[in-house]
Amino acid sequence: MSLLEVDNIHSYYGQIHALKGISVEVNEGEIVTLIGSNGAGKSTILRTISGMMHPKKGMISFEGKDISKKEPHEIVTAGMVHVPEGRGIFPTLTVKENLEMGAFTVTDSRVIEERMEYGFSLFPRLKERIDQFGGTLSGGEQQMLAIARGLMMDPHLLMLDEPSMGLAPILVELIFDIIKDLNATRGTTILLVEQNALMALSIAHRGYVLQTGEITATDTAANLRNNEEVQKAYLGVS
Amino acid sequence: MIRFLKRINVYELVRPVGQMVLFSLGSAAFMSAIAISLALALDGTAVGASLMDKYNVSLYTYTMLNLPQVIIDGLTIGFVYAAIALGYTMVYGVLEFINFAHSEIFAVGAFVGVELLIALDGMGILAGASLGMAYAYLILAIILGMMAAGGLAVAVERVAYRPLRGASRLVPLISAIGVSFLLQDVIRLVESLTSGQFNRIMPTFGNFDSRIVFGKIAMGTSKLTLGISVKSIIVIGSAVLMLVGLNYLVNATRVGKAIRAVAQDRPTASLMGINVNRIISLTFLVGGLLGGAAGVLYALKFTRIDPFVGFFPGLKAFTAAVLGGIGNMTGALLGGIVLGMLETFAGSYMGVFTMGAAGSEYKDIFAFSILILVLIFRPQGLMGKHVMQKA
Ligand SMILES: Nc1ncnc2c1ncn2[C@@H]1O[C@H](COP(=O)(O)OP(=O)(O)O)[C@@H](O)[C@H]1O
Ligand SMILES: [Mg+2]
Repeated sequence: MSLLEVDNIHSYYGQIHALKGISVEVNEGEIVTLIGSNGAGKSTILRTISGMMHPKKGMISFEGKDISKKEPHEIVTAGMVHVPEGRGIFPTLTVKENLEMGAFTVTDSRVIEERMEYGFSLFPRLKERIDQFGGTLSGGEQQMLAIARGLMMDPHLLMLDEPSMGLAPILVELIFDIIKDLNATRGTTILLVEQNALMALSIAHRGYVLQTGEITATDTAANLRNNEEVQKAYLGVS
Repeated sequence: MIRFLKRINVYELVRPVGQMVLFSLGSAAFMSAIAISLALALDGTAVGASLMDKYNVSLYTYTMLNLPQVIIDGLTIGFVYAAIALGYTMVYGVLEFINFAHSEIFAVGAFVGVELLIALDGMGILAGASLGMAYAYLILAIILGMMAAGGLAVAVERVAYRPLRGASRLVPLISAIGVSFLLQDVIRLVESLTSGQFNRIMPTFGNFDSRIVFGKIAMGTSKLTLGISVKSIIVIGSAVLMLVGLNYLVNATRVGKAIRAVAQDRPTASLMGINVNRIISLTFLVGGLLGGAAGVLYALKFTRIDPFVGFFPGLKAFTAAVLGGIGNMTGALLGGIVLGMLETFAGSYMGVFTMGAAGSEYKDIFAFSILILVLIFRPQGLMGKHVMQKA
């Protein structure tokens, strides 16, 4: 049984049919990536999984339980965390308060403290900025904060929406190293949405290629990297 | 116990008190300076002469004699406005929506508190009550008014606003105005069915009407009495307590952080495991509790209430919220105090300064002129950008 099973879902924004029968599986311990150009529906998939919107048709199950009608706050407590596109840092909460919000449903203050320290060990820069407002951080620091905040729930499944967006190449590399490391050392399962397909496929085990709300290809990351169509469309190889 | 005490964030208890003192002294000094300068300037004119004719006192002396009372009255009503304004501003901060029914939430609080006291009075309980019991009954009336108003605010959100959350901004606004009228009529209906009267009078009991006199200062041939009525102390004291409590809740507790998170970014807040609907209900509850308490305090200060009692205080508190910067809690406090002070100064001195041409009946013009001026020249309000809001 897969950890996450998305079975033939259809999602709409009003009349716009954004997801037209999407099926995705994520197994325990994997890094799975969703790649595709702008507007393909990658973020919509994550929003539907995390309960920010509900599918009109289809079913989503997490750890064997149907979650397609659950609200986001219920899904978080089930062990799945969604770090949204654009990071969603609370601008006038401090770095510390942002991190505390990440563990909102955790009541044991010692656990909160431990996880915060773990986040600081990944991103020491955040510790230096601990009392600064989230809105005053640089883009890279905000991305670090978003990931550290996502880890405050110690999720089974971490969903990241374009963590490389708008970052300098050196930071992109740092972020991807940490994602890979999280998976390798902590066993955190990761569903990674990326426009930077090359980077995503370099750390993922498997991938799905998305085009205007439909999945056009799925394979191991290695095979997708060598797939001619994928190379042409997403890897900038001609 | 020690552990618990250690976790209290003393700074967040002291800071709002400091702000209140600062805002009170600042606005009192500012308004006094204007009143005194005007008095000095007008003393040599017909205005001063006419006062001297009638009461044998200079305009300056007259102004000074009234000053302490005017300041205290201004502060009293200012704190009531601030408590109501916080209800508008918190809801705006979280939903970007102006809850125009808040004035009726306030009115319901006033009615519930006053009706309880009238009932107790009718049973003869208030007349014979000791001072301690008188305070206990007043506190009971305030708590009951708060609970009624808080519960009502939550219910109104649930029934009249939540189903409209996806709609355009005008829709819930119209719903709020509808609820406002509806509640006015419900109060009227209930009152006509039960008491047969729309005007209800706060019973006189306890020592609330007496005055504490600090001393007298000679002022020319007259004497300046420094004193404050017990009522005013109760109103200001209760409001200060509530405002400190609210500040603490929002700035120093886990649930307060969640309120701010929801205000800043609702979808992301839900991804943190925060039950957004529950936080929104909580916001309405807190606003309603404050509004209900303000209603009972208002009735204590002004004695008479009717089903429309919420209209002017509500509108003025809304003005105060806009003046301070709507969505900004410190702004609501500042706006309430400034507006209460300005209005009381205008009401007290305008008649004399204009030789009766524009008496205290024109004081409301000040509040609403301010609303218009702020909206035109500084729409973000005195304190600027919403603290709870997206930067
Ligand atoms: N809030 C929205 N309202 C209406 N349409 C939307 C909204 N968000 C996304 N869409 C549409 O849904 C489609 C998929 O968008 P999205 O999932 O954001 O794509 P991606 O993340 O792959 O760039 C696009 O056509 C986009 O225009
Ligand atoms: Mg996207």
